[in-house]
Amino acid sequence: MGRPKALLPFDGAPLIAHIVRSLQHLFPEIVVVAAPDQELPQLAVTLVRDEVAYQGPVGGIYYGLRASVGEFCFVTSCDIAFLNAPLISYLISQISNYDVVVPYLENRFQPLHAVYRRSVMPLLKEQLERGELRPIFLYDKVRTRKVHEDEIRRFDPEGLSFFNMNTPQNYEEALKRWEKMRPSLACTVELFGAARLLAKTREVSLSLPQEATLSHVFSALAGRVPVLVGRVITSDGGSLFSGYTCNINGLDFVRAPSAKIHSGDKIFILSADAGG
Amino acid sequence: MYGFHGRLLQIDLSSRISSWHELEESRLRAFLGGIGLGTSLLYEFAPPGVDPFAPANPLIFTSAPLVGTGLTTTAKFAVVTKSPLTGFIADSLSSSHFALELKRLGLDALVITGQAASTVYIQINDQNVEIREAEQLRGKSPSETESIIRSELSSQSVRVAAIGKAGENRVRFATISNEGRHAGRGGVGAVMGSKNLKAIALCGNREVSVADPKGIEAIADSLRQKSLGSLTDKYRKIGTVANLAVFNRLGTLPTRNFRQSTFDDAEALSGESLTENNFSRRHGCAACTIQCERLFKALNGAEQRLEYESLFALGPLCGIKDPEVVLQAAQLCDLYGLDTISTGGTLSWAMECSEKGLLPEARDLRFGEANAFLAVIPMIAERQGLGTLLAEGSRRAALELGNDSSYWAMHVKGLELPGYEPRSLKTMALGLAVSPRGACHNRSGAYEADFSGEVDRLRADPGRGALVAASEDYAAVLDSLIVCKFLRKCFSDFYGEGAELLSKVTGWDCSSDELKRIGERIHNLKKLFNMREGWRVEDDWLPERLLSEALPTGVAQGVGLSTNELREMIGGYYQARGWDESGFVPKEKLMELGLAG
Repeated sequence: MGRPKALLPFDGAPLIAHIVRSLQHLFPEIVVVAAPDQELPQLAVTLVRDEVAYQGPVGGIYYGLRASVGEFCFVTSCDIAFLNAPLISYLISQISNYDVVVPYLENRFQPLHAVYRRSVMPLLKEQLERGELRPIFLYDKVRTRKVHEDEIRRFDPEGLSFFNMNTPQNYEEALKRWEKMRPSLACTVELFGAARLLAKTREVSLSLPQEATLSHVFSALAGRVPVLVGRVITSDGGSLFSGYTCNINGLDFVRAPSAKIHSGDKIFILSADAGG
Repeated sequence: MYGFHGRLLQIDLSSRISSWHELEESRLRAFLGGIGLGTSLLYEFAPPGVDPFAPANPLIFTSAPLVGTGLTTTAKFAVVTKSPLTGFIADSLSSSHFALELKRLGLDALVITGQAASTVYIQINDQNVEIREAEQLRGKSPSETESIIRSELSSQSVRVAAIGKAGENRVRFATISNEGRHAGRGGVGAVMGSKNLKAIALCGNREVSVADPKGIEAIADSLRQKSLGSLTDKYRKIGTVANLAVFNRLGTLPTRNFRQSTFDDAEALSGESLTENNFSRRHGCAACTIQCERLFKALNGAEQRLEYESLFALGPLCGIKDPEVVLQAAQLCDLYGLDTISTGGTLSWAMECSEKGLLPEARDLRFGEANAFLAVIPMIAERQGLGTLLAEGSRRAALELGNDSSYWAMHVKGLELPGYEPRSLKTMALGLAVSPRGACHNRSGAYEADFSGEVDRLRADPGRGALVAASEDYAAVLDSLIVCKFLRKCFSDFYGEGAELLSKVTGWDCSSDELKRIGERIHNLKKLFNMREGWRVEDDWLPERLLSEALPTGVAQGVGLSTNELREMIGGYYQARGWDESGFVPKEKLMELGLAG
């Protein structure tokens, strides 16, 4: 690449800031693991440095888990621009009976877009001591949930969550894609009834791509309020369960995920049954 | 016979004679049970033109084929009579253990006529009928009455339906209550009071037989599963009180006697806020998996059941913004046995009259004034002071008060409007105008079309007639089988699945077309009853305010409903029904439905 990936300008900020911004809605705590002398912008995160340099992904995962306080962590690298909130929510939803949830795409594991339980730390430490710097050595030793390609593509058809910027050409392509996808439409979702009780909030503001549809709304909402997934929003994040419906601006009742959304729209999510 | 007992019990309180009669299978197949059977019996037993408070007006309790089958949400019964509020049919549903016990008596209908010389209650123990003196129960609330009777009969298994003071005093919107639930609308409790009948206590031991028990079990399992899914989330997770906040946002929450369709303080009263701040427990009818009932804690420590209709009528409709006051008002209505919708509707009329200076004796009775509001409710039940006027309901009260106060009486055929603003729900507007029992949200679910996106809810068109007619027939079948409306979305093909269900219960080979035809027949018979009791085309109409004032606030601001729009929709409805232009049922239609002669 020839320059620090974390500092590549992206969406008006260094790439690392863009990644942190994408994850802030999903997690109460974000840990950034950096090399001992790595330059970083000011970030509202917990920053830790590798104790020993050049220990690869296992080192990063280990130091990150050690610095976090939750039971498990979603781990990503600093060169991913297109994080997909519904996919991340889905990965997290799978962890309850596992120690690791890791996507398997195009015949390989994606260890730097995976969920790790903190209980695996002793095994990672042993790997570091043995010099086993590839995370896949861990997967046979713990309860690992392999997330298959068809599951991944339900949320991320193009697999952009795994688009790394390893070359200047990759970076240029990412910038072009982002220009097309860049959120430029603001709308508000107002929640009613059971959805409001679950979400513990009345409304959520969303930024969506131009030409967004109701499907984008559901998907973005799933990312912002993961508790709605599997209860109000379907597991793939693309539609509502049949007990729920939408009204746009208090006027039009709409269910079709393809319905267009306009900037400033207020989208009500309510029960599909108005009986009283 | 499967699914039915094929018997009717008639009790005449004047002569104190009871008699059992056969109910022909052909009649049961034509009208099913519940509302359908009740309508059929009302048509037969009520002398034409009978005064609702006359001894001859029958008070009819009916069971239904699905009751006692173990199917979720089917523990229901109907009460049918001629309404003292409307002068037309009153058909109310209530539910829970009383419904199961009614069927265990080995009957499909209980018809009560006559008038006891003093206050009595009826005890039916299997086949034995006893009319017992009940002077000691006068003035007691329905729940106190239930406890006293159980204690008197030394039986915890006896099931009781009773009236409160409002019924005893013939308040025209008094309820009949059982186990905290109510046959609420149309004043059925006042008819019971007019017979000097305080309560009915049942204890039976006859189980119903069904034609295909295994088939029923399979359907019951499937419906039970569906009833626990997303389709009933609203009722299971928050209850009907969920309507308030979203109706407010949609500009369809009747507020301050229908002056507005939004309420500034709606959030404080919302089901979501009540759940967060006042929730006590969830409850439900016997044999129900949905358990929609919500009990909330009042400051006085009491638990109070609250539904959307009570919340709207005792809250925004009267400008009341404090949930505590609404809970207290609902407690009073339950204590005295008053329909909460008509109580709120009549009080909001009185508040408007008071603000216009037409009720000098009630200057404090103003929108949002909690103390005066709470003080008047017992006066209605006792028929004291201003309560004497209000106990008559808004239509009669307005006629008595005069001074154009009828403009503010928000009723159809004398029944006060429920919590669905007609100007911003045009299909519902039509449904309310033409409903045989008056302004009613239960005997048709016309609002469903408005909330579905199937139509533009803010615009009127004659095509709504067919939607309303279909919705009424659908409701007639649901209310006669009986299945709770909160289960309705769990059917993907209601008539097909309903016909299968009915066939498995009764052994009849029933088709979906036959079931549809039954719904149409029941609805037409209700209309026929009303025609016999003096219905005129002017009775199918909405209050003048709704046709003169556009909505002033909310997303439906500026939206109104003109007389021409309503007239055109009603014309479309009569046409869809196959009725003549004046709304009368022609002979050909009666013959087609087997109602001629």
